[in-house]
Amino acid sequence: MAGISKNTALLKKVCLGTLAAVLLVIPLFSSDFTMTMIIRYMYYGLLTVSFGFLAGELGLFSLMTPVSLTLTGYTIGLCQTRFAIPFIPSIFLAFLISMSFAALCGWMANRSHGVSFLMLTLVFSQLVYSLALQWTSMTNGTTGLLGIRFPDAMEIFSTNTKVNHYYWTLIIFSLTILLVYLLIGSSYGLKLKGIKNSETRMAALGYHTGLLKWSAFMVSSFISSVAGVLFVYNTGMINPEIMTLNSSNQALISSILGGVNSVLLGSIVGTVINRTLELTLGSLTRRYATIVGALFLAIILLMPEGLISIVRKLAYGKNGTIQRAAADTGPDKRSASDDSHRGTADQSDQDPDPDGHHRSPGEEKGWEKGR
Amino acid sequence: MKKNTQKLAAMVLAAAMLCTACGGKNTDAGGAVDTTAAAAQEEQKAQETAAAADGEKGDTAEGERARPAEKIKVGITVPYSGFVANLGENAVNGALLGIKMEGREEDMELLIEDTKCEAELAVTKCSKLKEQDGCLFIMGSVTGFEGDAQADWLKKNEDVIFMPSYSATQDMTMRDFSPNMIRAGWTADQVMFNFGEYIAKEVGYKKIISIGADYSYPWGQAAGFARGFMENGGEEIKYIWYPEGNLDFSSIMTQVSSMAGEYDAVFLNDGGSPIVAFWKAWEQYGLNNKFGQIIGGTNVADTNVLSEVSDGFVGVLSASFYSDGDENAANQAFRKAFIEEYGYEPDAVAVQSYDTIRCIIRGLDAVGWDISDPQAIIDGICALEVTDSPRGSFYFDEYHNAVQNVYVKEVVMTDEGTMANVIKETYEDVSQFGPYEDYKEQYMQFAEDARDYPYTTKDAYMEDLRKVMGDDYVDALEANGGWEH
Repeated sequence: MAGISKNTALLKKVCLGTLAAVLLVIPLFSSDFTMTMIIRYMYYGLLTVSFGFLAGELGLFSLMTPVSLTLTGYTIGLCQTRFAIPFIPSIFLAFLISMSFAALCGWMANRSHGVSFLMLTLVFSQLVYSLALQWTSMTNGTTGLLGIRFPDAMEIFSTNTKVNHYYWTLIIFSLTILLVYLLIGSSYGLKLKGIKNSETRMAALGYHTGLLKWSAFMVSSFISSVAGVLFVYNTGMINPEIMTLNSSNQALISSILGGVNSVLLGSIVGTVINRTLELTLGSLTRRYATIVGALFLAIILLMPEGLISIVRKLAYGKNGTIQRAAADTGPDKRSASDDSHRGTADQSDQDPDPDGHHRSPGEEKGWEKGR
Repeated sequence: MKKNTQKLAAMVLAAAMLCTACGGKNTDAGGAVDTTAAAAQEEQKAQETAAAADGEKGDTAEGERARPAEKIKVGITVPYSGFVANLGENAVNGALLGIKMEGREEDMELLIEDTKCEAELAVTKCSKLKEQDGCLFIMGSVTGFEGDAQADWLKKNEDVIFMPSYSATQDMTMRDFSPNMIRAGWTADQVMFNFGEYIAKEVGYKKIISIGADYSYPWGQAAGFARGFMENGGEEIKYIWYPEGNLDFSSIMTQVSSMAGEYDAVFLNDGGSPIVAFWKAWEQYGLNNKFGQIIGGTNVADTNVLSEVSDGFVGVLSASFYSDGDENAANQAFRKAFIEEYGYEPDAVAVQSYDTIRCIIRGLDAVGWDISDPQAIIDGICALEVTDSPRGSFYFDEYHNAVQNVYVKEVVMTDEGTMANVIKETYEDVSQFGPYEDYKEQYMQFAEDARDYPYTTKDAYMEDLRKVMGDDYVDALEANGGWEH
């Protein structure tokens, strides 16, 4: 059993290394459009991760993930096009505004669970949506803000705008993903999973579950805000469209396609598939939405753990169910890391699974025992 | 057992959905399929049509017309889903018909991309068309906000020739002019200046309630209308805006109902399904008895709306650069061909994309179908004077927007018992500056059209006008009691 986990860990490292290398050299030989697509995967991927972090780690389905993205985008857009505030302060201001709003919403929304949480977040997102749509003197209504440009001073990787954008996006994306990866592997991540499993038990153990949930909401909003920065500079525009209910749904669909319990890998795989279908199928047939709908339905019914479960099966053997695989590698090691290292960076590197296959019931039991 | 049943159900459902998808493709995108399949047998006929078109130019002998080395790719980004999906379909069909009637199926290829009516996707699709498919020509989307976003994209991509499908935001070809954007269409304001004048002078309304969707295109229409209306004797316009795609008008009806008697008429300012929903509510609340007949923006009395509304719609006045009831030969031929091909009536969107693709073809004719010098093609297109358009004739101004006739239309009942538009009044050769043709610089000093600009009371409007256009203009206006023709 230990052999399997070692091999898998190695395999993972090799895969990750190859992927990183490919992403790094892509601008050298690929077309502009490949970069456009990858940049798009990255900002929408972060949006899905933002959704997946709450859904996978805490079991809370939020419909307001694009709100932070929008607030960041609008702030940056307004700073540049209307108030001529320089680049760095405008980024700080954007995070300040979006995180303040998230703090307030999180405080209110986290008093609820399940469907009422869903509805409350929907209300908040509609609130911001209406504001963006109707405060036209400031936001310019449906058209939104256009002509937002990445400052020339930041052109340090290449004089080609697209290549420069690509590397900046890649760096920020990777750092954010690393942050989330570390958080998930840390004791903090385990506490969140504890709450997902049984909030009352966690409370009884003496954890301040309210604060933990609120902080998770803030983390999710932070990821979404980062996505907002990437979105607004890459597309050069921000409009209310990005935070309609449909946009929230796209994050949800991507997350479920990939596997809602796999916060990182599942979200990104789901986004890549969803957005690729959007671009390629859309050119072939106008019934693309029907096909995505059918795919979505099939995945929910046949693979509740999402497409990522196929990868798992391949990695852990045909008959190795998720529970067994998880029991092999996840919980013991995880609780060990929790106790001894408290999620330091190098420990997380050794962690065989960034995406929490350890979320299955059996495993949760495992780590609780471990504690 | 239960799991198996679930699986089975899912598969059946998925299969059913896929069948729907395929079925839909056959009927809806039938134009694309048919065009290719019928290409061979239509070739003879097409050759003749093309010969006729070339003969008009008089410099190419039959059978020797210039052909490209490989198929010219023309991308078109339209919403195939969302609240204006029907406009997207019409735009594509118009373009396909244009290629077919010019007999260029073998020389041109139309790449269709769905924007889902989202600006971000519309821009991404433009990137795809340019970067992946290598399109030199891109036909833009149909809504104003997508058009604005694409115009912004165009500033960073100066190596494509961009022609909007139906986007009518005026600044695309005015304040935000790009040399590689050509609009064989219209601006929202362009077709409304004279309509406002007509309503104020000929119909004699003084106070109007304007109800419209809350985004840039209806703002532009309202702005053009307000300028014509206010400068020719109108006194006040009351704006009511609703979110785009709104289909529930009950609260607006209650609000409007309380204003009966105070205002003369309602100016409806949107297009597509909201118009049908509006009209139902309008009759249900009995407002057709409290107000005179509504007046409408450009898309209000479109053919696709006329087939959905009750007969009470007769008498609706609207204005456009195209009238489906226009009796010129080009229009009759176009309508006949379109109905034969697609089985329904074309509208202004189809006309614009039909004209756009034909402008591209004529522009290519001018350079012998050699696309190595895009600037020569742009110059060729801008120098065109199209005389055989279904809308009449048009040419381009220095900002690359069409100068054309504007028609005030009225909905009438035809002998066959269907509704159609007839032309009540024609204003010839109206540019995007409309009556301000001699005051272009001043006009561009006005603030951009917005939901609350131009001002809607006479005093505020005139004060603003005096500030921008100068005392002489306003004094002359007051002395004449309106615009001079």
